[in-house]
Amino acid sequence: MSDFGDDDRDPIADEPAFEEDPDEYYEPVEDDEADNRPVGDDEDPNQVVNSGDPNAAANHGKGTEKSHKDKKIPNDQRKTTPYMTKYEKARILGTRALQISMNAPVLVDLEGETDPLQIAIKELREKKIPLIVRRYMPDGTYEDWTCEELMQ
Amino acid sequence: MFFLHNLERRVLLHPSYFGKNMTELVTTKLVKDVEGTCTGDYYIIAIMDTFDLSEGRILPGSGMAEFTVGYRAVVWRPFKGEVVDAICTSVNQHGFFSNAGPLSIFVSTHSIPPDIQYDANATPPQFTNHSDIVIEPGTHVRIKIMGLRTGVGEMFAIGKIDGDYLGYS
Repeated sequence: MSDFGDDDRDPIADEPAFEEDPDEYYEPVEDDEADNRPVGDDEDPNQVVNSGDPNAAANHGKGTEKSHKDKKIPNDQRKTTPYMTKYEKARILGTRALQISMNAPVLVDLEGETDPLQIAIKELREKKIPLIVRRYMPDGTYEDWTCEELMQ
Repeated sequence: MFFLHNLERRVLLHPSYFGKNMTELVTTKLVKDVEGTCTGDYYIIAIMDTFDLSEGRILPGSGMAEFTVGYRAVVWRPFKGEVVDAICTSVNQHGFFSNAGPLSIFVSTHSIPPDIQYDANATPPQFTNHSDIVIEPGTHVRIKIMGLRTGVGEMFAIGKIDGDYLGYS
C-alpha cells in the first residue's frame, strides 16, 4: 500500500514527511554496506567463502543462541510461584490436547479414554506432560519450569 | 566453485514423531528438506554433519515442535567466468541448453565458434562443423559462464563455448 501511495503522490502533498524518513532510513543502510564491503574485500584475495564463512557463520549462529541462553535464570535461583497458574494450565492442556489429537505418543494408560482433552487432563494429573513452561520476566530473562515441578 | 558452508535452519517436527529418536528424525528431515535446494545464490549439494541441535520449542497454536539446527553443507556457487562441464539437453536454432548439475546454462549461437553451425536436418537437430564436432542432446561440453540470473529457488546461466579449451569435449 505505502509503495503505491508513494508513487502516486510524488508531486504534491506528503513531501516533508517523506523527506525526513528516507534520510533516517538510508544513512544506516549505507553505513552497513560500508562496513560489509571492506570485510569482503579483505577476504576475497585469500579464499573467498572458505576463509570467511566458517567463523562468521558459526559465530553468528552461536552469538544469537548464546545471548538467548544467557538469559535463563538457573533453576536454583528461580523466584516465581511454584504453582501453575490457571493460564498456564489452560495453555498446557490445550497444547497437549492438540498434540494428542495429532497422534503424539500418549504417556499414560488410556483406560478407554478417547477425548484428547480428557487424556491431557489425565496426563497432567499424573504429572506426565512432557512440556516446559518458560516464564519470561519483563527484562527478557526467563525461568523454565517443568510441568512436573509446578504444583496445582 | 564448491564451498563448505555453515548454515542454520529451523526444522518443524509433527507431534506424531515425538519420542526417543527425535534428534535422528530432525536430522533426517533436515537432509530431506535442504539437500538439492537452491537458495538463490548457491545450491546446497550435500550436508556433511549437523551440530547445535537446540531444545525443541512448541509453537503456540500448532502444537508442532521447532528445532534450530546448525549444519555444515557442501554448497556450489557458480561464478561469472567459471568454466564448468555440462551436458547438452536441447538444441534449437538460437543455441543450445545444457545442464551443469542443477544449473541450466544456455549457449547462444553468438557464443559458439562460427564454424560450428546449426543443422536442422539432422535428427535430433545438432550443432556441427561437419567433421569431428557434433553437439546434440547428451553431448558433454565445456562452458564458460558469462552471466547468471538468480530467481527464487532457481538459477539460470548464460555461457559461451568460443574460447580456448572450451566447447566439445
